[in-house]
Amino acid sequence: MTLKGGTTQACAACKFQRRKCTPECLLAPYFPADQPKVFLNVHKLFGVSNIVKILKDVDPSQKKNAMESIIVQASYRDKYPVRGCVEEICRLQNQIWLHEEELHAVYQQLEMCRQHQQQQHQGIHHVVPDDLASQLELGMAPRAANNALPLFNHAPQPQQQQQQVYNTSVAALPVSQQHSYSNSNSVDYNSLYIESKENNNNGTNPLWVPYANNNGSPIAMQSQMVTSQALSMHQEAAGDYDEMHPFFETIDDRQSYIYSKEAYESSSEESLKDSRKCTEHVAENELKSAAACFSLTSVN
Amino acid sequence: MASSSYSNSPCAACKFLRRKCMPDCIFAPYFPPEEPQKFANVHKIFGASNVSKLLNEVQPHQREDAVNSLAYEAEARIKDPVYGCVGAISVLQRQVIRLQKELDATNADLIRYTCNEMTTLHDGRRIGEASSTFSQSPSAYYYPSPWNNDPCAGDAGFHRGGGNHM
Repeated sequence: MTLKGGTTQACAACKFQRRKCTPECLLAPYFPADQPKVFLNVHKLFGVSNIVKILKDVDPSQKKNAMESIIVQASYRDKYPVRGCVEEICRLQNQIWLHEEELHAVYQQLEMCRQHQQQQHQGIHHVVPDDLASQLELGMAPRAANNALPLFNHAPQPQQQQQQVYNTSVAALPVSQQHSYSNSNSVDYNSLYIESKENNNNGTNPLWVPYANNNGSPIAMQSQMVTSQALSMHQEAAGDYDEMHPFFETIDDRQSYIYSKEAYESSSEESLKDSRKCTEHVAENELKSAAACFSLTSVN
Repeated sequence: MASSSYSNSPCAACKFLRRKCMPDCIFAPYFPPEEPQKFANVHKIFGASNVSKLLNEVQPHQREDAVNSLAYEAEARIKDPVYGCVGAISVLQRQVIRLQKELDATNADLIRYTCNEMTTLHDGRRIGEASSTFSQSPSAYYYPSPWNNDPCAGDAGFHRGGGNHM
């Protein structure tokens, strides 16, 4: 449906509702005509009146962010019809738990290697060898092999432990105790709340918008700005894991072995620019093209 | 007052909507009258008709999960009208990225140590720069990383929770 005497095409929302799309249409900026699927998802989950209600309740400067998060939420509900965003949250939490386990194992290996190296140094200092090679080989070769092997003998976590992981890992996150909704399988809904509102007040919270490509791997898009507030938010979330994994404190001590904060910021921006380029090349459906258009700017 | 299937009081949804709670009420099993706020939140954000349509589209054994997820999302949206539960997803994604980078850096250190040990054992002397030994790193000690697609080292025995399961 087009405007009378005009060349502007009706937005996807007005097209769907078969009504005239006026210049004052609230939804037109967020639902271009060439992406009907995006609006369909949002309409299916929220409905037009609820979207308008939500938009009216937020600050005008935050309307774009709010609508984009609504679009993301609806896309997850389309992707996971039963659990929607909760499915993605559980998947990410499981991924975090697995990474932490791997990190723990690797740090253990690293510590063994360091100790081994120190012993080697002490061995060199205490003995004055005529043949250095023979001294180094003495009693050392088997230990190097033994230290490396356990890493690859690490057994995968049994399914039962993964079940518990959902509850323990989410329990480490800040919990906003509201209502007991959980009667179902393995998800503790009470523990899924992650307090990020205080970091959103300044309006500079960048929003990751994950969409899956054909292979199923998530493609993360980042907003233009990565602020220190965003970093403090995820550092705060990281600190909440101290309860379940004390080794996280030692990880923080090993700053010399990880990227510096500046390097992380710059490298994360670079990697996200790369991921943004990847998303720009993905055009399987309107949802993915909506993701390519999705970007947040910092709001003062 | 009309009763739901097995109780005398209407479900929270029918109470809220001020309507008769029929025995086949689709909301009744999932919105008990003891939790009025649960339906109130869901109704505020999604609307009763949308929830009803959604429940009809999933299998009966999945409806409880669907309702609980909707209740969670509704509550998150009420608490944070701008980002809702998507804010939590962004926090977790950043965390995953941070952990992946940390894992890569630590793996690189481990490779450096093992390479140094290997060269020390075989040559009897240490090669200074670890980077010069990377090209010679034995595949048996290479730890697969999600940042590359190298399927080396066979079965490392490590179950990796990546994004390829969807």
